[in-house]
Amino acid sequence: MTTDSKPGLILDTDVLVIGGGVAGCLAAIGASELGARVAVIDKGGLLERCGSIAAGVDQILAVAEDGPEWDTPDYLLQHIPKLTDYIVDMKSVETFIRGLPGMLRKLERLGVPFKDPSTGKYFRHRTFGLPGEYHIDFDGSKFKPKISRAVIDSNAQIFLRTMAVNLLAHKDQTVGASLFHIRTGEFHFFRAKAVVLATGDTNRLSRNSSGLAFDSWHCPYNTGDAQAMAARSGALLANMEFTENTITPKGISSQGTNSLTGLGAHFINARGERFMLKYDPAGERARRDILTSAIVSETLAGNAPIYCDCRHLPGDILARLEETLGVDRPSLPRWFKEKEIDLKKEPFEVTVSEFSSRRGGVYFRGSGILIDDKTATNVIGLFAAGDCSTVSGGISGAAVMGYEAGKQAARFSRHNGAEQRFQDQEIAAEKERLFYPCRNTDGASPREYEEKIRRVVSDYIGYQRTEEKLRKAVEELGRLRSEESALCARDYHDLMRAHEARNIREVAEMVATAALERRESRGSYSHFRVDFPNRDDANWRKMIVLKKQDSGYEVGHRAIELRNPSEGKSDAHIDQ
Amino acid sequence: MPILISEDLCVKGCTLCDQFCPGDIIYRLDPQKIPEIRYEDECWYCGSCEEYCPTDAVKIVFPQQMLHSQTSAESLFGKFPEETKGNNKAAKNF
Repeated sequence: MTTDSKPGLILDTDVLVIGGGVAGCLAAIGASELGARVAVIDKGGLLERCGSIAAGVDQILAVAEDGPEWDTPDYLLQHIPKLTDYIVDMKSVETFIRGLPGMLRKLERLGVPFKDPSTGKYFRHRTFGLPGEYHIDFDGSKFKPKISRAVIDSNAQIFLRTMAVNLLAHKDQTVGASLFHIRTGEFHFFRAKAVVLATGDTNRLSRNSSGLAFDSWHCPYNTGDAQAMAARSGALLANMEFTENTITPKGISSQGTNSLTGLGAHFINARGERFMLKYDPAGERARRDILTSAIVSETLAGNAPIYCDCRHLPGDILARLEETLGVDRPSLPRWFKEKEIDLKKEPFEVTVSEFSSRRGGVYFRGSGILIDDKTATNVIGLFAAGDCSTVSGGISGAAVMGYEAGKQAARFSRHNGAEQRFQDQEIAAEKERLFYPCRNTDGASPREYEEKIRRVVSDYIGYQRTEEKLRKAVEELGRLRSEESALCARDYHDLMRAHEARNIREVAEMVATAALERRESRGSYSHFRVDFPNRDDANWRKMIVLKKQDSGYEVGHRAIELRNPSEGKSDAHIDQ
Repeated sequence: MPILISEDLCVKGCTLCDQFCPGDIIYRLDPQKIPEIRYEDECWYCGSCEEYCPTDAVKIVFPQQMLHSQTSAESLFGKFPEETKGNNKAAKNF
């Protein structure tokens, strides 16, 4: 494998969008609509199938302004502080929520069928503790292809099987990124006046029930690339202590199980008791973190195994359930079949999934790159949207904030963007930083290295956090950083895995550092400190903000402003 | 092997599974030859390849760890505080 014989592709653009999922596609659409030159990159092979919900999605959070009192941005905004356990940036959430009705209509215009074809209406239901029937169930198997089509039809240039490794900076301003093709190893050097980061959440962080690292609830190929790149470039990250997990059928960490609780499935313990109502009056429709917490508590109380029971559900609901189970994860119905589980006749065993770093189990607050109400980071020219940012809310959050980021980046590039020239030796030095694992011949493989990270995260961050354990996690993850230079890649695909492993470690270190700082418990098992088991609003109703240093992270706090939402006033505007 | 491809059913020239695989695991660099599963330990078992194969030539094969997981739930919760305290553990008896 050679790394120096291929010429680098040097490209100039106005807006570079890193990530081709929902947020990235809407960013590309938003920037193109304002006439900017746009380049969008993704590690995947086909834009229609890039991102977390590439294989499909079965529900969307929506405010449709369709009549009911709860179906308005103002109503939902009033409930946000409580829904996020008071750790939230209301200004940026307001951009998200006020953008929801317009985005629903925009996505429908792009060809996404949200209405149930049999009734001509939205099939809405209440879930995750939200104060209304905000989720629409729909057949989202064509969701990603539809919005990708709009990107392909725009003037955006699309670069697939391409991974971004570092952001390029000039005088504290982001001016592009270094990238490579994961199959050919071709080196790309993209100069951009503004960059939108949209690579999603971070997975492969900890152990799961199958023991297979890539069998994860959310997309295992989302590895915190944006969060790590942003951190290395001086961007602030926040809420990193809150991790997320879910309940999955034992053996397969799968998406799609939300539909089970949404449609009325019960959890029962080994004694056949339905236990959720002991933990929350909403029962199985409680927030995701409360569901996980209850299952952990029942297990620790000796009441495992825990089962999901659908036997009481009426035939039409069961039929709908079986239809939607395969939408998020096409292989899930097959898994049930191979295990010979008939949902009508028997409950199936469930357990907790691995961690991921996304939004700590609550909508609206993300664990990631700190953005303001216009999706800007603290680094000039750098914007972020979707699950890699501090505003995270499924596909609608990604869509609204991605679109906003694209518009803001386009405006920025028009007025403030720097046309940066680089010296040949700077480009050569960047190439060296990117390809170093290819030159190591006998170092650690990315797989072995990642296993070490997962062991530390599982054992020492885990569900039962203590000062002692978290100090050990910070120390071990810091030590693993020094092993990065020995990472060895046998091909360019492996080079991608090597950089992903570096990014996973970076995110893990942020999680451990922030979790050590927050000396209270909040959000059930998204951040549970055994040594500080209670919520402490007097001292900890604030965000923990991190800034990367040469070694470790500088930790800061940010006060929470819980102002009343401004009546109908927002700059968020969706062109339909 | 997480993904089985039937040589009889697979159509020459089609590269959909290669393009649809989100993990860059399925390679069909020569569209005349059967696709190659290169990085089997990196499969998500998402089933996209199976779902979208136009001739039903692809089959996902779940490994035993997924069909008959023996992992205890407690081992997923991480080390318990008392496990990490070493000698302090004995102090609890006083």
